[in-house]
Amino acid sequence: MKRKTKFASTVLALMLSVGALSACSSNGGNNGNADPSNAPGTNPTASSEAPAAKDTITALLPPVSPKYQENFEQMAADFNKLYPNLTLKIEPASWEDMTQKLDTQVNAGSPPDLAFTNSESIAKYADLGMMMDISPYLTPEMIGDFDEIPYGYMTKEGKQYGLPAYLAVHSIGGNKQFLEEAGIDYKKVQQSGWTYDEFREAIKKGVVKEGDATKRYGFVFATAGVASKDYLGILVKGAGMPYPFTEDNKYAYTDEKYLTVLKAIRELIDDGSMPKELGSIDAGKRWNMFLTGQTMITGKGLAVFENSANTNNKKLEANDGSAVADSIKAEYIVLPMPSFAGQPAVSHAVVDGYVAFRGKKEPTEEHAANVAKAAYFLASGQVAATTNTDLFLSHITDSARKAAEGVDTGRNSDNIAADEALLKQAPPARDIPTELAADAIKLENEVIIPKLQALLAGEITPEEMFEAVKKAAVEKFGADGVV
Amino acid sequence: MAQGTTKIRNRLNRGDSAWAYAFIAVALIGYALFTAYPVISAFIISFQEYKPLGSEYIGFDNYAETFTSELFGKAVWNTIVYTVLTVPVALVLSFAVAIMIMPLKKWAQTTFKAIYYLPAVASGVALSVVWLWIYDPLPGGVLNQILALFGIDNQNWLGSSSTSMFSLVFMSWLSSHGTSIIIYVAALLGIDESYYEAADIDGASFWQKMWHIVLPCLKPTTLFLLVTGVIGSFQVFQNAYLMTGGGPDHSTTMVGLLIFDTAFKYFEFGKAAAQSLVLALMIGIIALIQFKFLGKDVEY
Repeated sequence: MKRKTKFASTVLALMLSVGALSACSSNGGNNGNADPSNAPGTNPTASSEAPAAKDTITALLPPVSPKYQENFEQMAADFNKLYPNLTLKIEPASWEDMTQKLDTQVNAGSPPDLAFTNSESIAKYADLGMMMDISPYLTPEMIGDFDEIPYGYMTKEGKQYGLPAYLAVHSIGGNKQFLEEAGIDYKKVQQSGWTYDEFREAIKKGVVKEGDATKRYGFVFATAGVASKDYLGILVKGAGMPYPFTEDNKYAYTDEKYLTVLKAIRELIDDGSMPKELGSIDAGKRWNMFLTGQTMITGKGLAVFENSANTNNKKLEANDGSAVADSIKAEYIVLPMPSFAGQPAVSHAVVDGYVAFRGKKEPTEEHAANVAKAAYFLASGQVAATTNTDLFLSHITDSARKAAEGVDTGRNSDNIAADEALLKQAPPARDIPTELAADAIKLENEVIIPKLQALLAGEITPEEMFEAVKKAAVEKFGADGVV
Repeated sequence: MAQGTTKIRNRLNRGDSAWAYAFIAVALIGYALFTAYPVISAFIISFQEYKPLGSEYIGFDNYAETFTSELFGKAVWNTIVYTVLTVPVALVLSFAVAIMIMPLKKWAQTTFKAIYYLPAVASGVALSVVWLWIYDPLPGGVLNQILALFGIDNQNWLGSSSTSMFSLVFMSWLSSHGTSIIIYVAALLGIDESYYEAADIDGASFWQKMWHIVLPCLKPTTLFLLVTGVIGSFQVFQNAYLMTGGGPDHSTTMVGLLIFDTAFKYFEFGKAAAQSLVLALMIGIIALIQFKFLGKDVEY
């Protein structure tokens, strides 16, 4: 009898464990089966006819803006107020572990429904078949809310894999006092841009020496490790190569114009306008160098840096000990990157946003529709208004513009005008085939970045790097696949 | 009575056996789940083009690509260079420190052991951050400031191919001997005093005692440290990942880092699995060679 009781209790315990485990796997998952009524084939628009089924949408979100993560609870509550049957479950992540976390989840076949990521990474995930096309679930009102150019950045091969949060231009930023001391008409540059030769002369003037030692450089860009790809990526756009592929999908970086840019990279270091240790300077160090007056111009620059510089200035004025050590008051001036070889200036536009994923199981129609609703909620209206204001960025939806009406960010008006001019130079999105885009990313990681590091260290010549890129590109895309 | 005692003993034995099997089962299940299963999975995946939504069998393609990859060859070479430069030096340094600690009083011995073991307790990430600060390439960097005292120009320690590997090796030389020192000290304490007494009677010098007593008695320990050191060195990942990312121009790309990049940067899990198994095979062959040539007269 006792044995039977033991057996029965063991069986019961096992059943409960299995039940609990299966509940875990479905709750908050991205397959939309959390509720039995979430059956496939349910019409997503039929919510007015029958009570909508409960569902949970998961989102992996990094600290997009300084105050972004503080608002998570409010965001989840507002979403639930808007859609009482839906729960927005936000998983916070730091910028450092965001990609790794997402990659692990994607490869395990259980990604979040939404993740905040760069439009360029869509190719990587789409190649694995793990992205979700939300275009069937976006209403014309939702689509019409977005500016056309940023919206297009989230499209690949006719499928809408997410919604953009903002379009930011990667510029460079100067110290107003140093620019003036060097006699640079920065307001003219902000509006009309500058050629490579003009830029080179300007940053030479920014160098201050004390004996043999350089006290201040003309220009410092963060190029340590993978950051170097930003530097090269931003420069090549100004040389008439807005994308790694031409309009007819031939690999572009085998063009002689690419060599022109590589030569410029070396020249700026050899001139002494940039540090010879440039290849080891990371993002934190170059910003520290800007705030401590060790460089006249810094890169890459984002609009939010003006906010950071202003905040540090206020701390210095208030004699606040948390100001950056040895920093000086620095008024941040937005500047464009130079253009090369007579090519028109093209801004390096970055579109980040909420990208939709699917798991191993086919998502239900209703769940996919709910994911689209969550993506729109995060990318527009009050959420976008708050985030983009915090980042000093222009809004890309009408609803966010409306929500942000009357909000004064206290930005320098010249910088606002400069950003607007730079935004006009942002190239429209190009729908490069997924496989080609993924191959280009691999070539960049395996050949371009390592060779660029060697070029920055002065260990190979621009010509050697160009030949290495050309050889690898021909191997990958074939002789007919390159320009 | 005797029959009853035997029955009780048998029952007790059966009970003991059941407990023994239960405890063994825990270890076996752990091994099966966390060691055997991943290894078997890696072996299967190495013949596939891995995709989360359904992998495809591609035969030996991943192995063919691994063996023909210039980058894999470079990573193997870098790993060999790193191993050759770090493992023997680590053995010599650990042995020297252990010998210096031995004559000290117990409290002093313990203090030094604790000091040398401290880096092994500290997080590898924290150590890397400290070394990044030491290797700061700008003139204000710690190492560059020391060089400046001798009038030497500042060096781009981690950013130049000519110094990046040496920088990682130097970091290894100075920060990872705690475990080896403790093992050597334990082995030194295990040597019978009578050997030294006999040597003293024969008038043997310090170096003679070292050569004829200490080194032969420590041979099993040295072999153990050599084999585990080489295995650890072949699997080195953290330092390269955190300090240089494998650069510049792949000058510090080790096999471990390449496998990580292949899997988690390019999502080529099949190829990464093949690379892992090739690495395991290489380590196995090297360990066998070490046992064959150095372990002949070693008793365990």
